[in-house]
Amino acid sequence: MNTKDRYNRQIILPEIGDSGQDKLSKAKVLVIGAGGLGASILPYLTAAGVGEIGIVDDDVIEISNLHRQVIYKSSAVGKYKADEAKLMLADLNPSIKVNAIAEKLFGNNAISIFEKYDIIVDATDNIAIKYLINDACIVTNKPMVYGSIFRFQGQVSVFNYQNGPTYRCLYPDENTQSVNCEDAGVIGITVGIIGMLQANEVIKMILEIGEVLSGKILVYNILNNEQQKYDFEKNTTVVINKKAFEEKYNVVENQVEEVLAKEILDKINNGEVLFLDVRNEDEVPKINFKNGVQIPLMNLRSEMKKLNPNQTIYVFCQSGIRSKIAVELLQKHQFKNVKSIAGGALALNKLLKRKV
Amino acid sequence: MIEIKYFGAVAEKTKCEFEKVFFSEISLKELLQDLEEKYQFESLSFSVAVNQKIVPKATDYTLQTSDIVALLPPFAGG
Repeated sequence: MNTKDRYNRQIILPEIGDSGQDKLSKAKVLVIGAGGLGASILPYLTAAGVGEIGIVDDDVIEISNLHRQVIYKSSAVGKYKADEAKLMLADLNPSIKVNAIAEKLFGNNAISIFEKYDIIVDATDNIAIKYLINDACIVTNKPMVYGSIFRFQGQVSVFNYQNGPTYRCLYPDENTQSVNCEDAGVIGITVGIIGMLQANEVIKMILEIGEVLSGKILVYNILNNEQQKYDFEKNTTVVINKKAFEEKYNVVENQVEEVLAKEILDKINNGEVLFLDVRNEDEVPKINFKNGVQIPLMNLRSEMKKLNPNQTIYVFCQSGIRSKIAVELLQKHQFKNVKSIAGGALALNKLLKRKV
Repeated sequence: MIEIKYFGAVAEKTKCEFEKVFFSEISLKELLQDLEEKYQFESLSFSVAVNQKIVPKATDYTLQTSDIVALLPPFAGG
């Protein structure tokens, strides 16, 4: 496929040209949230040829999303947004790379995810996560393209651009509340317009053209088409560094804890804990405990909701390798007490036989 | 005369998007206290701009005739 033809109408713009297209193809952009804003931002960045796009969203598509999250088909209800968005975008432009990250963003994963991208786009729908994104952008030194809406009004800004002001300079009071779309109501056009303005800031930053909305917040009212820009300055009294970030967001090293089969024999058939078998159903020896459940590793992400994140869970596979992967996955989804059984089903079976 | 603009959830409280008020010799801090009394913003947080520039809320700046004040709460929808 001739990419030159694909991008011809933008390459002929004097502000872009071949060199601009080259910048786009080398850019890596992370979009957090594949809801209303994300559904507007993602296809435009993809179609323009942004080289690598990451999508962070751990939600599944609901029927009440479809009126505004226009990249999803009705038949995709119940599927992960990150996965569905990836499919749609890959079809739209197969020449770029799309990474679906169907995880919840929190202190433990934000830094390592952000480090892989050049620009971070906030397309989320709650205030607490905006502070997290802001702080992780400061630690990793990435610009944050902010967008948010309230009914028929929207806000757009770019924070931490070339060491410029941040979200905390605009809104220092973290203990604040504001209603999201679910509670306040929204039409698709509002998130569409605001998302498009965010995509525009991304493209301008990559191409180094125009004026970036840094140190300014744009407020748009779609009912009367009024838009205003307000200037704000950097507040140098707020200091976020790696250490402060780790303390604030309780960052702990994710380590997979292993237990020996012989240490947990007394937990068998004890209803307080759960044994999770992540092998496929045809694998032997079969291990059936009253407090056991089988979810093959490949289905774990989609069936995780069946499990209680606060329960103690001992995970096993055949030999103890897949179970470690399962433990990591569960930890990423806020499971608090999951351990992998060393040696897996083989070790368990040996001990069980001896016991009999 | 001072013009005040309200956005987002703040405008829901005031039930208007702007109003003009007559004052002489009033500081921004006093104006905000008056508005708080009148509209009971309570837990609503917002930043304040004077003539398109965000300023600290507790400033003693005396508002001038034809100044435009704006109350800008953070939005959360997406």
